[in-house]
Amino acid sequence: VQPPEKPLQAEEWNKLREDFHLPEIFEEVMLNNMIRCNSPIDVAKSLLTHVAKRNGDIAYNVLVKYLTLCVRQGQVSEIRDVYDIMKVRFKILESGAYNLLIRGLSNSDQWRMALTLLEEAKKIMIPSRTCYESCIKAASRHQEMKLAFELYHEMLAKDVVPTLDVLQSFFNFSRGMNGAELQKQLFGILLYLRENQIYPHKTFMQSIKLWFESIPGGNWRGNLTKIKDSGQCPVCKQQLEDSNLTEEEYSNLSERIIRDVIHGTDTFRKTSPKEFEAFQTFVENRLPFDIVIDGLNVSHIKSRKMQCENLSDAVNCLAKENARLLVLGRKHMLMNSSNWKREIMKEMQNKADFFFAENISEDDAFLLYATLQSGKHCRFVTRDFLRDHKACLSDSVTRHLFRKWQRGHQIVLKKKKKKKSFSSVLSQQPAFRYDCVVQTTGDTWHIPYKDVFEEKYSYQVPRKWLCIQQK
Amino acid sequence: MQCANMLLRKIVRSSVLPFAAQHGMKKDLFLLSRTLSLSLCLKQDKACEPSEKLDLDEWKKVMKSGLQEEVSETVSEPKELSSLAAARETLEMWRLAGRAVPENISEEQLKTFMECPSKSAKKKYLKYLHLKELRKKSHKRKMDEKRERRLEAQDQASNTDETKKSSFVYLSSRTMDKVYHWRAAQSMIFGQPLVFDMSYEKEMSVREVTNTVKQIVLSESCNRRTVDPFHIHFCNFKDDSLYHKEFIKHYGEAWDKLLITVTDQCYTEIFPKDKLIYLTADSPKVMKKFDHDKIYIVGSMVDRSIKTGVSLAWAKRLGLETAALPLEKYLLWSTGAKNLTLDQMMHILLTLKDTADWKKALEFVPKRKYCGFVNKPVKELKKTLDLINTLKLRKGREGVEKQFAKNHPKKYTLK
Repeated sequence: VQPPEKPLQAEEWNKLREDFHLPEIFEEVMLNNMIRCNSPIDVAKSLLTHVAKRNGDIAYNVLVKYLTLCVRQGQVSEIRDVYDIMKVRFKILESGAYNLLIRGLSNSDQWRMALTLLEEAKKIMIPSRTCYESCIKAASRHQEMKLAFELYHEMLAKDVVPTLDVLQSFFNFSRGMNGAELQKQLFGILLYLRENQIYPHKTFMQSIKLWFESIPGGNWRGNLTKIKDSGQCPVCKQQLEDSNLTEEEYSNLSERIIRDVIHGTDTFRKTSPKEFEAFQTFVENRLPFDIVIDGLNVSHIKSRKMQCENLSDAVNCLAKENARLLVLGRKHMLMNSSNWKREIMKEMQNKADFFFAENISEDDAFLLYATLQSGKHCRFVTRDFLRDHKACLSDSVTRHLFRKWQRGHQIVLKKKKKKKSFSSVLSQQPAFRYDCVVQTTGDTWHIPYKDVFEEKYSYQVPRKWLCIQQK
Repeated sequence: MQCANMLLRKIVRSSVLPFAAQHGMKKDLFLLSRTLSLSLCLKQDKACEPSEKLDLDEWKKVMKSGLQEEVSETVSEPKELSSLAAARETLEMWRLAGRAVPENISEEQLKTFMECPSKSAKKKYLKYLHLKELRKKSHKRKMDEKRERRLEAQDQASNTDETKKSSFVYLSSRTMDKVYHWRAAQSMIFGQPLVFDMSYEKEMSVREVTNTVKQIVLSESCNRRTVDPFHIHFCNFKDDSLYHKEFIKHYGEAWDKLLITVTDQCYTEIFPKDKLIYLTADSPKVMKKFDHDKIYIVGSMVDRSIKTGVSLAWAKRLGLETAALPLEKYLLWSTGAKNLTLDQMMHILLTLKDTADWKKALEFVPKRKYCGFVNKPVKELKKTLDLINTLKLRKGREGVEKQFAKNHPKKYTLK
């Protein structure tokens, strides 16, 4: 239904309503369409008047729809009127109406009323992140940074995750402002990014840069750069934090992997106690390894080659400098088949240690265990992102540890096409030597950022950095 | 007049005037004041012009005026509500806002609702209740309609006053029941056992357990109705478990009269281990044919959250043989998980037992899950497809050949 362009008289509405195939929901549908077309508010008003005259009352959902239209067009006085009416008519309001009211009022100069509404909403529910977002933005827009930060901390305390937008607005609105307290708070946000391994996007990064440079008397300078593989920042020559976990983190992580990933609710789901024990003794007798290889994963790199050839290529590629290799596989690899030739397997077993799990066991769990047991220097080879294993870990802190460890220890083999010939060679994408996370030394800050607004994959780490140093 | 005054006062109080002036929203304001003055004039003159100007804010007056009495009522009420009552209020508001919320909600359901750990869990639970309510309502409506129709038919029959006597032998449902029970009793002595493993209660939510029991009830009834039923065993069945409670809910008194074996023993204690086959979709082995000497075990578990390998883990722990249905072999699978419901399993097993015809048996796999039935194994079809593809992409084929020649120079030479 096309909403009319001008306010209609009651009779005209009546006629439209009768022509509509479902007269009971006519108002709803009409208002929805008005919202979609962003119709003039007067048209909606005339519809409401018509409804009020006919029924002597207006249903709550119709009022909410009208409110949506008002919020969309920033009609502050109307929003207030609707609120007054709702307040008298209904004992409490529900979250949808509060969301709208808060959003509508926070953009006006009656933004303080949004705050009182937020207080009201808190009585019946945990306000949504958009509610907080509107209020925080309103407060910081009016330079009430203290209030904004109070709200921010409140929302964190309630486990409501702030949007990047909110965080960015803090930097935008604090530009040029002085104050040790404010600086501390903003550094706190950067540390929040660090702890939760969040990477700001490009415009957010710009906001951070501009804020730093605007601190009066701070003498901060920001530069965009790329960090070398060695982990040195080319601008300030600072060495970034390395990707190693601390002793405590490391032992925590390996404990949790054994508990949550390998055993889980039932050891039999991924392996069996007997098999796991056998693997444990196998590993302990041969420790430590330098590189642990996921045999089956590596064997699928090039689909046109035999699987055992792929594996032997990989082993040859990695078996330099007397590195101690462990290859994990499944028992079916030992059966002489078209893909697994016995001679090639024999040959490989001279170069590396092999462990063959049962065909129905999960070899990835063994991969993680062997690597972690070998110590911090040990790395592993697989193209798998290990997301299912990360998901087995029960809390986010350990998951972050896992990601960090994975970034620092996973080698990814890739095929590289040589020109003119059909053969391709393997190349290593090495593990990161530095930790890709927001970091500071006091007089420098290094902030990795994403080029695009939403990067799709969680395993991808940004390669671009913002280096900020104090002179 | 009073209304208009109130409105005026309101406008002054809420400081719309200075605000509007600041923001250049004069047009709106003028409109408002003009309608106000107009309505004042109208009231005074009591003269209705034929081309009446539309009062856009009239709805507000209506909404407010109708409420004067109600306001005084609400004020006298105690402000503090118990958390349950508050939740009820919130739900009512959500319902008014047009969300999927049930109209009536019991105290128990309300408590479950409040114990939901997250917002989305709450939403889901409400939607579930809402749909349940709708279904109940439509069912009731249908039953009412049916009753009416029946009454009408009776009326007509009594009008014509004709007692029809059919020459067929009449089989009452009681006679049929007797036959079924006789068969079931026979199966308890001579029938092939079929085990339902009831040890998954811990892995499931309450809703999943109810679903499981519902599916088992369906399977039991279709088993009872076949010519040659299985002898059903419920193994690892604990009294006072959630399963038990749900079964009582479904069967009532009939639970004690069911012609099945219920035991808290494990199947390994009742049957020889080498005869047991655990059916699980995670099994690496594929069932080739139905074996009349084996005892098949079905895990009584509904798994909405895709926990892989739970029943396989049990089979592994006990060292049992496992098998999966040959779904891939006979069906061109399209979507959905390979795990089937318990009643579908029962239908399939019963059909296999009677006919040994995979095509007939796999008819019971839901149609949405597969696109078609194949006579050749799917693997072979795929091979042919691959071959066609390589033939189409000549270049790729040459590459493969060269590569192959290079890797295996002795066995293969290019002509």
